[in-house]
Amino acid sequence: MSLWVTCDSSLLPYSRQLCRSFITPPITRKRKAAEVDNDQPSPKAATKAHGPRHATSSDRPALSKHSSAATEITENTERASPASSASQKKRDLATPATTTASMDSDDDFMSDVSSQEDFGMQGSDNDSLGEDFGDLDAGFSDDKDIFGHKRKPYEVEFKVLDPPDIENEQLGQINEVSAILGLPPESAAILLRFARWNKEKLIESYMEHPEVTLEDAGLGTNFEGTAKTETVPGFMCDICCEDGDDLETYAMRCGHRFCVDCYRHYLGQKIKEEGEAARIQCPGDGCNRIVDSKSLDLLVTDDLKERYRELLMRTYVDDKENLRWCPAPNCKYAVDCAVKNRDLHRIVPTVHCFCKHEFCFGCSLSDHQPTPCTLVKMWLQKCEDDSETANWISANTKECPRCMSTIEKNGGCNHMTCRKCKHEFCWMCMGLWSEHGTSWYNCNRYEEKSGSDARSAQAKSRSFLERYLHYYNRYANHEQSAKLDKDLYLKTEKKMTSLQSSSGLSWIEVQFLDTASQALQQCRQTLKWTYAFAFYLARNNLTEIFEDNQKDLEMAVESLSEMFEKPVSELAELKVDILDKTAYCTKRRVILLSDTAENLKNGEWSFNVEW
Amino acid sequence: MSLSQNRLQEERKQWRRDHPFGFVAKPARTPQGGLDLKTWECAIPGKAKTLWEGGLFKLTLVFPDEYPTKPPKCKFTPPLFHPNVYPSGTVCLSILNEEEDWRPAITIKQILLGIQDLLDNPNPESPAQADAYNLFKKDRPAYERKVRQVVKENQPV
Repeated sequence: MSLWVTCDSSLLPYSRQLCRSFITPPITRKRKAAEVDNDQPSPKAATKAHGPRHATSSDRPALSKHSSAATEITENTERASPASSASQKKRDLATPATTTASMDSDDDFMSDVSSQEDFGMQGSDNDSLGEDFGDLDAGFSDDKDIFGHKRKPYEVEFKVLDPPDIENEQLGQINEVSAILGLPPESAAILLRFARWNKEKLIESYMEHPEVTLEDAGLGTNFEGTAKTETVPGFMCDICCEDGDDLETYAMRCGHRFCVDCYRHYLGQKIKEEGEAARIQCPGDGCNRIVDSKSLDLLVTDDLKERYRELLMRTYVDDKENLRWCPAPNCKYAVDCAVKNRDLHRIVPTVHCFCKHEFCFGCSLSDHQPTPCTLVKMWLQKCEDDSETANWISANTKECPRCMSTIEKNGGCNHMTCRKCKHEFCWMCMGLWSEHGTSWYNCNRYEEKSGSDARSAQAKSRSFLERYLHYYNRYANHEQSAKLDKDLYLKTEKKMTSLQSSSGLSWIEVQFLDTASQALQQCRQTLKWTYAFAFYLARNNLTEIFEDNQKDLEMAVESLSEMFEKPVSELAELKVDILDKTAYCTKRRVILLSDTAENLKNGEWSFNVEW
Repeated sequence: MSLSQNRLQEERKQWRRDHPFGFVAKPARTPQGGLDLKTWECAIPGKAKTLWEGGLFKLTLVFPDEYPTKPPKCKFTPPLFHPNVYPSGTVCLSILNEEEDWRPAITIKQILLGIQDLLDNPNPESPAQADAYNLFKKDRPAYERKVRQVVKENQPV
């Protein structure tokens, strides 16, 4: 989380500037061109296209899932850019790879938007999750469709838990182990926490060496007696040195006796100040006995008990590999997902919390589909280290044509002498200074060979930097645009209200703006990470398809974004267009993500880095 | 009376009744001549049959307000040549660390005996000063020579 925050904030001013200065214009221009040519007639064409498409899919019952999706993609892309007939061939190539997406109708899209409920239901239907799916393939493969819910290749099975659920889960396991081992529940709890909730391993080690296990866990082998406070004649507390026959005292089964006040004070210190719960040891010198929940309940006040339970729950979720807290601020939910750490190079497990936050189960960062966690970390690190520096170098320096040292020209004439290799060259044309003859301080040559050679060498050495900046700028642009779109989203509500009054539309009829805004956010998030992903991809046929998918999504997103900015008065007329574009954007996103996830899962991508 | 004051009074009583041979532990005097229970002037003798035999090493124990919930700070004055003593003189020992093995029931006697034991049994896992640690690790004879010299400089008066 912290990594994300730091990177995010450091990029902010920079990406804003970039976005304004030179990234947006090219895209806008492209978008404008596309709009003028094609998008005007598009709404009618699109509404027409819906009819026959449905017919096609119902005509072919068995294979319709594949072929109808394919048809639709082609139609839609044609609509978006019919002029690009040259890329048509490539796109045909692209479609087979993306056909597993089961987007037959707009209904699918709607259910995608309201997926919150879907996931909740699906989760509660399936209680055994996490135990049954030891294997990765069972965890996210869409082939074995056991539950009748069709998951897209980039989606994972998960379940959101609220605190009572977690508490119950904990309790269930404690009671189970308590029954199997014949130990009191509070002792079973200590054993389980010691074994980091690995039941099988715990039971096995307990069966082999019960005494050693109990001792290691801080329990001791004595289970006699009940937990109660008592007064002991002639007792003096070793902590406060108080004595008196009416002094209430307490000792756990280890026999280290202290007065109740000192015990309470000690536990309060541990729980409140140190946030310790699972491993509070006996206050006696050198005693490793863990304070159990029964003793604790006997000794401390209710607010501390509450805090104690909360801390125990925290360690429970932290200990279990299949659980993770939702990282959103003040969110109380945890997510249960079977994806293991070792699977993270094959899948990007995005999960949706009840609080609406979408995050990656692997690393807790905000949703970063389609880029795998490791690459995300590398990318964020790189951006933090390099982006500003690289940009500055690119803008303000050139390299010595001979030794490639990076040189900043901070004054003086064009006659440069490299301090390192003493090479003399002209700053303007990068050619040899000796060829400049007497036309000092004023370079108007262009054609000379030495100059163009030097420039091309320079270009080559700069290509790495430029490549990074290419991806970085687009990444940053989408991040920035997503932020701006979010601001727009806040204005949307006002818009929706004014739209209701000005056009006489009902509340439900203006919800399309809300839907559109959310789709826009989501697509921008995806686009942003496609650039980080692409930066690490080694070029091959697959990357061509990927880039086509990326381009299609980007064009759709930009044109939706533009529609969205129209004045309120025009919005009512644009409703069909916006709805259509929203659905299209979402579909393109699904296609891109499905394709990428499939390839990732099958290990088809080749990367230019080791990870 | 507060918990820490009460406990320290009692520690003082216990100490006066009985304490290990050669050790010194007494509360400091305030400028007005009263007792400052939160600061104790102590001295630890080197254990017999060890390198440290014959030395008497002075240290100050400073008790925080939260004592005995939190441990006292133990500081050799002047700082001692020892792998687990910081250049400031502060002792690095697990029973003196709140997050490790400190328990409210540990007494001043146990602390001082613990530090005496540490003198001849340094813990190379948690070095606190470079000089002593490096010599201890790389040149044991030189380390021992240096300890003997330190012992000579710290004779009981």
